[in-house]
Amino acid sequence: MADPRPRVEYLAGFCYPLGGLAAGKPRVLCHGAEIFLSTGRELVYVYDREGRLLIAVYKFPGQVWHLELLALHKVLYVLCAQSGIYCLSLDQTTRSVSRDKEDGGDDQDSDDGQVGEPPVPVIHVDPESCVLPDASLHAFTVLDDALITLALGPTQWKMQLFERPSPGEDPRPRGQIGEVDLSTCTPPAESQGASAAPCFLPVLCCASPPGSRTPLGHSWSSEGVMLEGALFGLLFGADAALLESPVVLCGLPDGQLCCVIIKTLVTSTSALGDPKALVKILHHLEEPVVFIGALRTEPLAEEVEDIHCDCLVALGHHGRTLAIKASWDEAGHLVPELREYSLPGPVLCAACDRSSHVYHSTSTGLCVVDLAQEGSPLDPTESDGAPGSLPPLLYPDNLGICSLVTLCVSSSVPEGGAELLALSAKGRLMICRLDPHDEAPQPSRVTSAKAGQKIKQLLSGIGTVSERVSSLKKAVDQRDKALTCLNEVMNVSCALLSSREGPRPISCTISTTWSRLQLQDVLVATCLLENSSGFSLDRGWALCIQVLRSSQALDLDSAGSAVTYTIPVDQLGPGGRREVTLPLGPGEDGALDLPVTVSCALFYSLREVVGRALTPRDPFKDPPSAECTPIVLPEQDGVCLPLSEHTVDMLQGLRFPSLGVPYTQALGPARDPIHTFLGTCRVPGSQPAGPESLRAKYLPPSVATIKVSAELLRAALGDSHAGVSLGCATLQWLLAENAATDIVKAQALSSVQGVAPDGTDVHLIIREVAVTDLCPAGPVQAVEIQVESSSLANLCRAHHAIVGRLQRLVVEQAARGSSPPDLRLQYLHQMQANHEMLLREVQTLRDRLCTEDEASSCATAQRLLQVYRRLRSPSLLLL
Amino acid sequence: MAHQTPLGSSASHVSCLDLWREKNDQLVRQAKVTRLPLRRQQLAQDALEGLRGLLCSLQGLPATVSVLPLELTVICNFITLRANLARGFTEDLAQDIQQGLERVLETQGQLEARLEHELWGLWDAALRVSSLLPELLPALHHLAGLQAALWLTTNRFGDLTLLLQTLTVSQSSASEDMLLLLKSWRPPTEESDAPLTLQNAQGLRDVLLTAFACRQGLQELITGSLPKALSSLHEAASGLCPRSLLVQVYTALGTCLRKMGSPQRALLYLVAALKEGSTWGPPLLEASRLYQQLGNIAAEIESLELLVEALSITRIPEAHQLLIEVELLLPRPDPASPLHCGTQSQAKYLLASRCLQTGRAADAAEHYLDLLALLLDGSEPKFSPPPCPPGPCVPELFLEAAAALIQAGRAQDALTVCEELLSRTSFLLPKRPRLWEDARRRTKESPHCSPWVSATHLLQGQAWVQLGAQKEAISEYSRSPGPASICEQGCTSDMALQQLQTAALISRGLEWVALGQDTKALQDFLLSVQMCPGNQDASYHLLQTLRRLDRRDEATALWRRLEAQTELPQENTAWSLPLYLETCLGWICPPDRETLREEFQTSGDL
Repeated sequence: MADPRPRVEYLAGFCYPLGGLAAGKPRVLCHGAEIFLSTGRELVYVYDREGRLLIAVYKFPGQVWHLELLALHKVLYVLCAQSGIYCLSLDQTTRSVSRDKEDGGDDQDSDDGQVGEPPVPVIHVDPESCVLPDASLHAFTVLDDALITLALGPTQWKMQLFERPSPGEDPRPRGQIGEVDLSTCTPPAESQGASAAPCFLPVLCCASPPGSRTPLGHSWSSEGVMLEGALFGLLFGADAALLESPVVLCGLPDGQLCCVIIKTLVTSTSALGDPKALVKILHHLEEPVVFIGALRTEPLAEEVEDIHCDCLVALGHHGRTLAIKASWDEAGHLVPELREYSLPGPVLCAACDRSSHVYHSTSTGLCVVDLAQEGSPLDPTESDGAPGSLPPLLYPDNLGICSLVTLCVSSSVPEGGAELLALSAKGRLMICRLDPHDEAPQPSRVTSAKAGQKIKQLLSGIGTVSERVSSLKKAVDQRDKALTCLNEVMNVSCALLSSREGPRPISCTISTTWSRLQLQDVLVATCLLENSSGFSLDRGWALCIQVLRSSQALDLDSAGSAVTYTIPVDQLGPGGRREVTLPLGPGEDGALDLPVTVSCALFYSLREVVGRALTPRDPFKDPPSAECTPIVLPEQDGVCLPLSEHTVDMLQGLRFPSLGVPYTQALGPARDPIHTFLGTCRVPGSQPAGPESLRAKYLPPSVATIKVSAELLRAALGDSHAGVSLGCATLQWLLAENAATDIVKAQALSSVQGVAPDGTDVHLIIREVAVTDLCPAGPVQAVEIQVESSSLANLCRAHHAIVGRLQRLVVEQAARGSSPPDLRLQYLHQMQANHEMLLREVQTLRDRLCTEDEASSCATAQRLLQVYRRLRSPSLLLL
Repeated sequence: MAHQTPLGSSASHVSCLDLWREKNDQLVRQAKVTRLPLRRQQLAQDALEGLRGLLCSLQGLPATVSVLPLELTVICNFITLRANLARGFTEDLAQDIQQGLERVLETQGQLEARLEHELWGLWDAALRVSSLLPELLPALHHLAGLQAALWLTTNRFGDLTLLLQTLTVSQSSASEDMLLLLKSWRPPTEESDAPLTLQNAQGLRDVLLTAFACRQGLQELITGSLPKALSSLHEAASGLCPRSLLVQVYTALGTCLRKMGSPQRALLYLVAALKEGSTWGPPLLEASRLYQQLGNIAAEIESLELLVEALSITRIPEAHQLLIEVELLLPRPDPASPLHCGTQSQAKYLLASRCLQTGRAADAAEHYLDLLALLLDGSEPKFSPPPCPPGPCVPELFLEAAAALIQAGRAQDALTVCEELLSRTSFLLPKRPRLWEDARRRTKESPHCSPWVSATHLLQGQAWVQLGAQKEAISEYSRSPGPASICEQGCTSDMALQQLQTAALISRGLEWVALGQDTKALQDFLLSVQMCPGNQDASYHLLQTLRRLDRRDEATALWRRLEAQTELPQENTAWSLPLYLETCLGWICPPDRETLREEFQTSGDL
């Protein structure tokens, strides 16, 4: 009840990446009415608070990591990642001059974040204005006439002190005054160069002793603090106090908090600073330091102009907070009073005001803590001269503005209150006014002034709630959309699954052709998805094409290797068609293992569409509550509707150069240019000496025959092949799915010479023969299909393909109920017995092959081949 | 590419290799361009990225013997540029070298060496392979040179010796002496059509030779094996030595000869060093040490004055070439090194303290005031660090300044300096709760004081004495001594604190004597003798006071004790007291110690 509701005033919106701005790199600075802002990307904005408009946008060559403003000199220093420190003069003159270099509205950033404001030309920052090029810089601060930088070396952080360069000056490497390695901390292992941006940057803060000649806000950096003498001397020693030297406090991502006395950092040109003497480690937070600041916990005497802070504060990323004050023990000795607190984290950013408040922003809200000891006597005369000690516990007060990524305490503070300039993760620049007078609520007596105040509070409350409302609304919309999608999916599924017979409303036909890709001929499968249903396939549907190639097609033991291609079907309305082609091979090794099975299915991913709606990402919600995630969808869950399956066998893969079918390159795998290059680097060999070509040269071609009864074929082929001889018709039937089928038909061929995908010949010869001694009724008319190939593997593939077709044919004929002719059973029995014996021998030979050594297994393999040949030779007759 | 016939592929081979080569040559030329230093740095950075990319594309393909020479050259250029931009060799350069070696082994299918051995094993294998592939040899030797540089900077001399032995095995017999090995190593000359390099292997070898000699010489100089150091440094000076380095080598030779007891020869080298270049600091500092050893105070002070002036000139570092230079391979001089000359204020302090020590109080006072102005005047744009930590801490600097001013008779200025010190550290002084306030009022002594606060009061007292204000002096002396407190800064030892308190008591006693209050003086002298029985000054003062008060028995007893003490060997003269305290002790030394002694010896037995 007692917390002061902040009055939030929205100023402007800036573009932000998906997922919001990350903390750590965005910066907001305020000088008078001008606000300087960077969102951690390449742009630096200058915004006029009074005119409420954007004055200028500067574009830098890399991510902007830090800004420092020297108000007196009207100079802005900008640290650009991987590049270095740039120096911009903020005078109107230079701005107008450099504006000539602008180029149109090429930058989409400049307009997508702005609402209702005229787009401001983007000024590209001249690389000449880089005053300190160094790709390893991670942080810097400006102090009087010095520039202090922190660079990441290969093994440690390196602090360097330079003379402060001014804009327009020639960048001089001689400006370096001192350098010291911060003690061996382990910076994050850089993998590839320094390309990966670090999550946490080091934090620097300048502390000066009281009465130093560079008072706050003079030529100080925006983050400088002036410490009370006792605290300063205690923390940094008598030398620093005597020299009245400013001190740089440095908080590293590994949690180390150390300090360097600037005046001692001056080193000679020949020698490095000695870290042991120069760097003093104050503390270790054991989590990345995100903020260092100082504040005043005790009330000030009235006449003091400069605020001398009496308490140093450092915040870690996970909320660990360190506060140090100077205190005196009973003996009167100066001792540090050091307290660690744990605040809610992770802390995105933090700031101190000039009283005793520390503001820190987390993803759940902006919190404020008061480090002044409550209830302690505030009058120093009463307190034995000892200052009030730090409170034992802190009570963070949540102000309810969440996900602020950078904060800046405005210098113009109305009496007692605080004004924060903040940038939210959504790129919103806002002013938060915290009025301490609200702290005492008086519910009973409501004066008119109070009522006005109350209304203002309510209004501002509405403002902060609106962002939350919009996100909830978005979640509801998402759910609605998901439900609509689900409904359509149901419709499509029903349509597909219910129509078992007849043409399916959604179909996918697969065909193959040889086509030339780059330097290589490739067998390409074309899948044509046709939607003849009344529903449209929307986003979320994908066509899954699984290509199953058995690496050894004829070896039934080996499981094939399957590749699944998923192609999103992006809007396929009723009547629409979509064609997808994919290469089947040959691959890099030149081999194409036929048969290849191509099966198509439609897939609808539930996770993709529904899952997102069920677990909305609500940035305003604390850990997702139970009702939010009732269903945990497994990774692969979805609706899968099989469409069709197609087997590409050898007969489809054959090419017929002898028939004049366009045919370009007969041999071998594609030659990658680099392989070609490397090939020529080798000792020039005579010619490719593969085993295949050798075999073709010296071995007689293997032969296999299949006999089919002419009657069966005639019945099966029907009328479509009337007018041609049965041999021609059979060949046409066999090559029906081959591109050469038309030529075969036109030339009425009964034998054909083809080329297998790997370049070996395959010869198909169809003869009409008469088979005696099978049927008692006399010789049976049959068709003999003979396959010849120099490659045994291709022979097998072709044979397998032919047998597969005949099997299908026989099954179809059997279904029609045609009766086989009378057979001489004795003969058949004999054949079966023979085959069984041979098969047994095959089995034993194969068993032996597994156990034998190299030499004898060769002989066994030979024997096995012979048996296989015998198995085929009294060739099968299909009736 | 798409329309290329298979026949054209051999043409593409040539052009591809040429393309890479051309890229390398262009990047090397880009890195060598001399223009504005800053732009140049950016160009060099770009060239480095270009080389990195080129290396990536080369290493993306299987290693072949025909491409390897180019690839190794690119690696060498890459390492050279990287070491230059980082201004030093870092361990991660070893990875680049290792990758190159693995590629060499890859062509021969000997990659198993990678798993078994460390970097040295890889080198061994790679060099054996290269004997079969002579076309790789120039680039491999170049890479070996870079490896040697890396091992030299990381002090891995064992590996380095083995590597050099392997490299020179065909040319000379194996030796342990690295200098000899380096001298006998003859990297094969590159062919004229070889890809461009930033630095050739021969040049690298010369640099290595000088760097090693220099390193070894300096090391031997520090460890004290002087004749060896002399020969190593001579070797370095006779080698390929840039001017700035020559200054250092000559200075080190001077140091070496001074320590060997030949100051005249040392002086010759120092003069040569001064003639050689613009870095006058180290030879001037060495000259001052030399003159100090010779006892020529005037020359010593003059050298120091010149040193201060030399260090006030800010030297603009010359734009270095993008080569592996000798200085890149040398460690930066640390304070222990004879080549370390510190900063201007450190030199100024040295000058001031030497003036004070040698009795040139007026000069010392001026120099101390200059130094304080240098340190404390923030308006001056120039930065100058205090002389700590090799010198005293800043409070002691104030005290020495005050002591010098008193010594020079400028008591008023000394009082100002003391007040400045007290005011600047006032907030560090213990706060005194009321209880302690009361106690303090009674005892007139502060319970706890930082050592330098005590010393300040002592010096203030002395200044008042000089101004003739004895009452103020006595009150300051009374505030000075206190029980030994925790020494916050570690500047002052316990012994020094004891001496400080003794000095304060004696000084107060002397003032009582001057005021004619001998009993009070006696009390103080007695206290001081009790506090520090070994302090003979206190005993003499006590003796004199006893005699004046005509307490003869006690005086005789004391005299006997004193006699016995002087006969004992003086063992604790080796204390090193802060300079300001030594100066203070000089003031309270009884002037007529010898006459008093004679008096006692003649009439003493009584």
